[in-house]
Amino acid sequence: MQGQGPGYPGGYGQPGPLSSGGQMAGGGPIQGGPMPGGSPPPASGPMPGGGPLHSGGPRPNDGSRVIPMVDARDVHKSFHHNEVLRGISMQIWRQEVVVLLGPSGSGKTTFLRCINHLEKINHGRIYVDGELIGYRELPNGELREDSEANIARKRAELGMVFQRFNLFPHLTALQNITEAPIRVRGVPRAQAEARARELLAKVGLADKADAYPNRLSGGQQQRVAIARALAMDPKLMLFDEPTSALDPELVGEVLKVMRQLAEEGMTMVVVTHEMGFAREVADRAIFIDGGVIVEQGRPTEMFANPREERTRAFLRKIL
Amino acid sequence: MCTTTPFLDQLCQIVTLGGHFRWSAVGTYLFNPYIVETIWLVIGLAILAQVFGTLIGLLLYFMRRTRFAASRWAANAYIWFFRGTPLLVQIYLVSYGINYIGLDPPLRAINFFPAIGYSQVQMYFFVAALLALSWNEGAYMAEIVRAGIDSIDPGQLEAARSLGMTYFVAMRRIVLPQAARTIVPPLGNEFNGMLKNTSLASVIGLTELLQTSINIGNALFLQLELFVVASFWYLMMTTVWTAIQAYIERKLNVSVTDFGPGQGSWTQRLLGFGRRGPVAVAGAGGINVPADRGAR
Ligand SMILES: Nc1ncnc2c1ncn2[C@@H]1O[C@H](COP(=O)(O)OP(=O)(O)O)[C@@H](O)[C@H]1O
Ligand SMILES: [Mg+2]
Repeated sequence: MQGQGPGYPGGYGQPGPLSSGGQMAGGGPIQGGPMPGGSPPPASGPMPGGGPLHSGGPRPNDGSRVIPMVDARDVHKSFHHNEVLRGISMQIWRQEVVVLLGPSGSGKTTFLRCINHLEKINHGRIYVDGELIGYRELPNGELREDSEANIARKRAELGMVFQRFNLFPHLTALQNITEAPIRVRGVPRAQAEARARELLAKVGLADKADAYPNRLSGGQQQRVAIARALAMDPKLMLFDEPTSALDPELVGEVLKVMRQLAEEGMTMVVVTHEMGFAREVADRAIFIDGGVIVEQGRPTEMFANPREERTRAFLRKIL
Repeated sequence: MCTTTPFLDQLCQIVTLGGHFRWSAVGTYLFNPYIVETIWLVIGLAILAQVFGTLIGLLLYFMRRTRFAASRWAANAYIWFFRGTPLLVQIYLVSYGINYIGLDPPLRAINFFPAIGYSQVQMYFFVAALLALSWNEGAYMAEIVRAGIDSIDPGQLEAARSLGMTYFVAMRRIVLPQAARTIVPPLGNEFNGMLKNTSLASVIGLTELLQTSINIGNALFLQLELFVVASFWYLMMTTVWTAIQAYIERKLNVSVTDFGPGQGSWTQRLLGFGRRGPVAVAGAGGINVPADRGAR
């Protein structure tokens, strides 16, 4: 099978770009996972040829697409004796936009944090772009935590946007964006600044380059935070409730930036309760409750006809 | 010897301790060159000890934050010892310790101080005092550093790491510059104490301000007068430092709540972190920014 990364241990042996059932049921461990019923494969979506949602984005039609951008296999995570993730398995495909839904405390944040190894996992594996994240596998199959430098290098390729923005308050908007490219990638300052200005323009904040975060509204701060993540040219963006700390009138400006990113073909995992965004932008919605995937499917279908009672109860509350 | 006016005479009796205290001698020796030159020695010793003490405090912070139990244990034992024994005893311990391990002959051979005009100052005593003062200070700075770093939202470190920074890069570039705002005020108080604690080095023979005053006072039978001279200079140093500290804190106070234009650079400049970009343009006060934040 072409294009497999060296670190990626098979298991996706179906030839060629995914067969019709590939996205969710394609031979991966997800079948053994806790997903009852498994929703039917979406008619369109992130498969070559593209859904209508992605008409603008580039869609490579090559073998590399066979390796999921994120491949989580039976991920378990406990805090002390509190098991927060109880066997999450999912694949997220290149250029796919996946929305994670679920009640508060269901483990959505924890799962996102596991994807870039801000959180250690107790069991299972997470591959990002074919490479194990956070750990390396010993010849005997045991996992060892990877070196800090390796973890940092992999994290640098994943962007993360936080509910509370977490901008660096002692740095201007521009410096917030240039800090990591300069310190982590060694990009020359002038080049990093030029790129940062481009990104600020892209998120509609060209005039705020020299403003400190506390001079910016929540919506502006979150857009700077997105630009900061984009400055590392991530191959995947993780959003943890990016709009839930915002006043309602500021939500739109952030969603607009995210929508634009999706159209450009960014692979995105978004925890959000913005159902409009989920419906219009996401290829897939995954409903998590109690640390397991309860149901997943195309957002429009899932919101209209949830098959699980728990999903129905949740959607009733937020729709 | 005072005066013939009854009231003034009584007052004079009091301030001269019945005619025994010679204020004129205080005036004579206040600016005695042997005294005055020790002021720079005291300031130099205090600054060096404070710098090393702060670095040790940082090191202890990191030692206590690793997952290696031995490192945490060692740091805690260190702090336990240096906070639990008198500084004076520590000065004796270090001084005699250097002697016992045979390091004093090479130190005595170093002619640095005579070469810069301090004929009485021995490197051996200076090093012993510096080590004891810094080690002791490190134990106290460890707590101050911890309070400062722990006051920073863990989300800052997370955001930095999510961008691919390693722990130390994230600490140096993101967390410490912010923690410095909390650390600097108590650090200033520590330095005030440090200026005075240098006087303890007199017991091992370092001819700093106090020891020099004692030597002159003993030679001339003017002990009390020379203690007053020493007090005057300690008071001068701490007073000037308090003014400097107030200035620094005024600068910092503004920026603790407001990382605004100009202020944002203060601790960075103070501690040598990074480079400052262009001055910020104040934008419209954001919705999540309390109105008073805008006031400067
Ligand atoms: N660092 C932590 N230590 C202990 N418990 C935690 C920690 N982080 C999260 N949890 C617990 O894990 C559960 C899931 O949290 P989280 O992933 O934040 O849920 P969600 O984002 O879906 O609201 C919650 O019960 C929370 O209390
Ligand atoms: Mg959450």
